[in-house]
Amino acid sequence: MESTALTVGIVGLGAHGTNHVERLRELGHKVYGVDANTTARREFRERYNATTFESLDELYAQDLDAVIISTPNKFHETAAVDALEADHNVLLEKPLAHTLASAERIADAANRTSNVCMVGFHHRYRNACQVVKSYVEDGYLGEITHIDAQFIRRRGVPGRGTWYTSQDIAGGGALIDVGAHVLDLLFFWTDWPTITDAMAASRSDFGQHDDYTYLHMWGEDDRGKMYDVEDSVTAFCEFDSGMTANIQVAWAANMASTHSYRLRGTEAGMTIDITNTLQEVEPDIDQRNDLQLYEARSGRRNHFVNSEIIVSSNDPYRDELETFLDAVQSGKRPKMTNVEQALDVQRAIDRIYRASQ
Amino acid sequence: MPEETPGGRGKTIQSVESALAVVEVIRRKERAGVTEIANELDRSKSTVHHYVTTLVKQDYLEKVDGEYQLSLRFLTLGGQVREREQLYHLGKDDVDKLAQETGEQARLIVERNGSGITLYQATGNHVTEPITHVGSIEALYCTAAGKVFLAELSEEELDSYLDSVSITPYTENTITDADKLREELDKIQDRGVAFDDEERYEGYRCVASAISTEERELFGALSVSAPIDRMDEERFRTDIPNQLQNVAGVVEINTTYSEWTDVL
Repeated sequence: MESTALTVGIVGLGAHGTNHVERLRELGHKVYGVDANTTARREFRERYNATTFESLDELYAQDLDAVIISTPNKFHETAAVDALEADHNVLLEKPLAHTLASAERIADAANRTSNVCMVGFHHRYRNACQVVKSYVEDGYLGEITHIDAQFIRRRGVPGRGTWYTSQDIAGGGALIDVGAHVLDLLFFWTDWPTITDAMAASRSDFGQHDDYTYLHMWGEDDRGKMYDVEDSVTAFCEFDSGMTANIQVAWAANMASTHSYRLRGTEAGMTIDITNTLQEVEPDIDQRNDLQLYEARSGRRNHFVNSEIIVSSNDPYRDELETFLDAVQSGKRPKMTNVEQALDVQRAIDRIYRASQ
Repeated sequence: MPEETPGGRGKTIQSVESALAVVEVIRRKERAGVTEIANELDRSKSTVHHYVTTLVKQDYLEKVDGEYQLSLRFLTLGGQVREREQLYHLGKDDVDKLAQETGEQARLIVERNGSGITLYQATGNHVTEPITHVGSIEALYCTAAGKVFLAELSEEELDSYLDSVSITPYTENTITDADKLREELDKIQDRGVAFDDEERYEGYRCVASAISTEERELFGALSVSAPIDRMDEERFRTDIPNQLQNVAGVVEINTTYSEWTDVL
């Protein structure tokens, strides 16, 4: 990438916001911050020696090359639409919004203004996930008939009692949070089919209980405050391509954690397991992604071939960011994790929630 | 010598105070005749008559069947005052939602000068006759919302409140002992939820949750009340508090982001 220093406005200075800032600084870019919370602004100033603003208008009036939004989901729309209308390019944290209607309004603003608008489905940038895509698009697997997808955390409710577990602010629980990644990967691999039928069940078994025992918490634990979302969803979906999928997502379950996919094709199958990155905001550089290929061949004797695929690991957040910054500099709206795809994911989330009611 | 008022410094005009005292008596009694008001205020009937005549002329009172009642002019004033309150705009929809979800009476309450004032209320479909109305003034020590406000006070502030207030034992359950009240307030600080177990109204239980943000500190309370036959221990101590905290949390977050979303 050209080493032009860019100026990026960070909207929402929590863990996701600062995660982006670390990488932006490594790449030599300048950041400004905005947050509605006084403490978040102060901590940001102290940590990065960067200018912060209290209101969106003040930030958007600056000479910015791009804006990265990681506010609570409900405020994605106001932050993104204002940014796009102020002629800034935008990268949003996933999901696109807390509701489908809000997501549509963001996509409208992006299309109306023709600015770059991407959404942070970072798992898609993992080398292993890209390799799966290459096998699918080369036709190596034949036609994909079914996918088993599991994103299950043994104990991984994010910020229990905070906005993450509020229906009104987050728009849902495990499905809109981790399920968004699952749907994004499914769609990416199989070229964006549409759900034609869905059966789903959602549960809330852990949330507000005092005896929620955990080892690690993403965000803060504010027990006893807001918790009115589901912590697991099981769904069976049929797609217009003829494919079916079993989707299981959980923030908490009495089961081993897993983030894995089994793809069944007419010619070959693949399994991908990216579980070992589950607990990491910054993934372990030595991580190993389990990627297997399953085939049946006939040589002199019919036989099965199970191949292990080895890929180097990468930092998906960094690749996501570089894709975004490249798009900002070239002015070309990218194919990867763009707002239209994020809107498709939001439609699927909405469809599955409706099926679960 | 001009008298010093508790609310500020400077001269006060006695006739304005008297006029407001007349208004206050009528508010409390809903309707009152001159004799009744005169007895209540320990003033002569002819003086009271001058006051009510003036207030009728100014459109603040109306005469019905020989008695006086407050006119709708007070709604004009009250409506405008409420419009000005940011919490009303930020919390109104959530109070409606809470009333609908619980089927009970839900309220937004703010504290002014040592009393709780109902800023907005909504009733769910179980409620036939709400126990309060918009603008109702209630004591802090015996109401759930009131206790939320008291729990936020420093020890000195609480001492001075307890010194200044005379505790009325509205019911058998009203906490009249200062130490017992302090104990209860400590518990509220831990959880952010306060309870009124038939302490203000016989047969009514009420739960309240604080609404506070880092920027605004405590600036209101959200409450749900219901007759005891619809409010068993489980609902009173667990279900309603959980529902309340979900909504209070949302109001807090919406408040924090209100500048961004152009809510008043």
